[in-house]
Amino acid sequence: MMIPRHLRTVLCAVALAALSAPAYAQLTIDMTKPSFEPVPIAIVDFAGDGVGGEMATVIRNDLQNSGLFRSIPPGSFIERNVNANAAPRFPDWRSVGATGLVVGQVSQVGGNLKVDFRLWDVVAGRQADGLSFTSQPNNWRRLSHIIADAIYKRVTGEEGYFDTRVAYVSETGPLNNRSKRIAIMDQDGANNRYITDGRTLALTPRFSPTLQEIVYMAYGENNGPPRVYLQNVDSGRRELLGNFPGMSFAPRFSPDGTKVAMSLSQDGNTDLYEMDVRGRGMRRLTNTPAIDTSPSYSNDGTQIVFNSDRGGTQQLYVMNAGGGGEKRISFGDGRYATPVWSPRGDYIAFTKIMGNSFGIGVMRPDGSGERLLSNGFLVEGPTWAPNGRVLMFFKQQPNSGGRAGSVSLSAIDITGRFERQVPTPTDASDPAWSPLIPQ
Amino acid sequence: MRMIKAFAAIAALMFIAACSNNEQAAAPSGTTVTPGSVADFRQNVGDRVYFDTDQSSVREDGRQTLNKQAAWLKQYANYQITIEGHCDERGTREYNLALGERRATSVRQYLIAQGIPAARIKTLSYGKERPEVVGSDEGSWARNRRGVTTLQ
Amino acid sequence: MTMKPFLTRLLVLTALAMPSAAMAQQGAYIDDRLNQLQQSITMLTGQIEQLQYSNQQLKAQMEKMTADYDFRLDQLEKGKGGGGGAAPARPAPPQQNAAAAPPPAAGGAGADQMYHDAFKLLQDGDYAGAEKGFKNFLQRNPHHVLAGNAQYWLGETYYARRDYQNAMTSFAEGYKVYKTSPKGPDNLLKLGVTLAALNRKSDACAVFSRFSQDYPKATDLQKRRVDQERQRNGCG
Repeated sequence: MMIPRHLRTVLCAVALAALSAPAYAQLTIDMTKPSFEPVPIAIVDFAGDGVGGEMATVIRNDLQNSGLFRSIPPGSFIERNVNANAAPRFPDWRSVGATGLVVGQVSQVGGNLKVDFRLWDVVAGRQADGLSFTSQPNNWRRLSHIIADAIYKRVTGEEGYFDTRVAYVSETGPLNNRSKRIAIMDQDGANNRYITDGRTLALTPRFSPTLQEIVYMAYGENNGPPRVYLQNVDSGRRELLGNFPGMSFAPRFSPDGTKVAMSLSQDGNTDLYEMDVRGRGMRRLTNTPAIDTSPSYSNDGTQIVFNSDRGGTQQLYVMNAGGGGEKRISFGDGRYATPVWSPRGDYIAFTKIMGNSFGIGVMRPDGSGERLLSNGFLVEGPTWAPNGRVLMFFKQQPNSGGRAGSVSLSAIDITGRFERQVPTPTDASDPAWSPLIPQ
Repeated sequence: MRMIKAFAAIAALMFIAACSNNEQAAAPSGTTVTPGSVADFRQNVGDRVYFDTDQSSVREDGRQTLNKQAAWLKQYANYQITIEGHCDERGTREYNLALGERRATSVRQYLIAQGIPAARIKTLSYGKERPEVVGSDEGSWARNRRGVTTLQ
Repeated sequence: MTMKPFLTRLLVLTALAMPSAAMAQQGAYIDDRLNQLQQSITMLTGQIEQLQYSNQQLKAQMEKMTADYDFRLDQLEKGKGGGGGAAPARPAPPQQNAAAAPPPAAGGAGADQMYHDAFKLLQDGDYAGAEKGFKNFLQRNPHHVLAGNAQYWLGETYYARRDYQNAMTSFAEGYKVYKTSPKGPDNLLKLGVTLAALNRKSDACAVFSRFSQDYPKATDLQKRRVDQERQRNGCG
């Protein structure tokens, strides 16, 4: 797999020799259990080079924000100067309530940054994990996320999701003349940058599986109809995906990145099509006198879930990826929209519109086991973290007195236990969570 | 000859009726706008129609507005027009784009049925992205569910 | 007369205006009709979807109920006939304790109640509760006419929880002790399926191969099921 330029790094990871035999007893958490306590974890500022403290801060935020960890405030630490290459004084860490302890050492090696970190199981008094990374010095934030992912994986047994990006729509200006631009940031809000210039409305960004490209929908200059664009994230070069007489929108990549499904509107009728990204061939997927939109491929690429009002109200349907075999899967009260297939394949997340409130929920791909995770005046547009355990969506507060209500991003785990706002520099909507950044 | 006279009389009556109609429409505005201008269209004809929740068929009050639009557009045939379709905020972004398009198309079809050439009319959906009124109440939503005829 | 051409023009104009207005009206009418038709199609589509869905739900429910009724009726009939003595002429297979055929019912109404309570728990998905119930029942009424059934369902409580080890033991016990029970064929089939789940394919195949020999009068459904399982596990 080719690695995008902005991600290219001298990156290598080596397992550190365990300072004691590994024991996998205490430091674990089962996310699927109906109730659990967040794991209390102490993360010591990494020793050595100047970024050590900042790296520890990034790791603390990542883990704390997942809702599965409780970061013990560094002020309460008894043992302050921990040697990253020797066993810590376990009783000191037990007495501050830590179950896990993370220590690290940063050093410069030949112009590169070398980071050793160890995760200690404080209760068992054993090393649980130890890795050494080498990378370019300006990559310290990524290294921090990668370490946080390693800790998350070691403790939960699930893949991490911290070394990822989020594309979203940045909104500024009055509601009736708002500027909407595509922006990309790290999952924790750092490194925010704008991908479109804001001259025309740009909406619904989606990542390609390699993160090299995004597809989105933007209006043309001078009242031009909305079209789907494919844009290289590094070079900024963008191209039109098909030139059709009507509006094209709601694009989404297939899991292998070779196709983009989207909606085309002609004479007020909206159907689904699939474009071959390389050959630009277009294939029709649905043909009904109804609105068919918001397509999303299954994780294995064999099916597509989408939104249609062919039965009078918006409902969710599943069909074969090449079209055909359409089957309605949503039968609860209310309207269903924006279905998104989990990267694990076990759930479909959706927006549900019920009278005066909106909800974010999940159901099994056959429509069973529907569960609402969050609701509010307006919550919309879920997107999956690559591990299929966390969702991000956007939340709009009601407008009042001619003033626009704020629009912001939120993240929630699929148990619905832990919801938090995701910080963005401006109002934000329509998040799209990237896969893990290729290492 | 008598028949011709009778027709002439009817035609004259229709002509007068048409004139008085125009005057009636122009009278309440009070301001002086150039007939045939964009301002004339907006003030004296009405450039927008409203829709019911989740609906895209033109309502009775909308039909009257569109009848007037059609008459005006026939008179001033130099204008190309774009129908903008809009929705309230109580729907999802992508679906509302499609719904706005459906609304714009239903206005377009109505105008075509009234004799406006299809080639003169384009459509453009803004979904819920460009509300007319900034408010989260039924009154604001009712005004945001609209089709707006813009002149070029 | 200068008036005349003017009048003629007016006339022509009027005449032209009339049909075009009429056409416009007709066009609008057709549009309306189309919209109405489309709306009713949409409505019907929605209703069909809903009906199909509730139909599906009802069917699933019916199947469950029918299975339950069949089972109960079966039991009633067997109970009347003195139970268990239907096919005593069956050849005894090797290494099989043929003396295990259940004699006529031992327990009374209390035993029946116990069995049905446990069965209810099973239906409700309370597998742990059902396990306890069936075990109690078997302990007190090992020769009851329903004992073979209880042994089979006990195995099912484990199987449902993917506790294949205990499921295997339970089904194997069922085969050994209650071979001629009405649940015998199901029990043997499930023993094979459980062995397959434990990745003991050759054992599973051996069990399936006994089926036709031990239960020549099994239902077509059961026979088909065995054939499917043999295929799935690549039995020769």
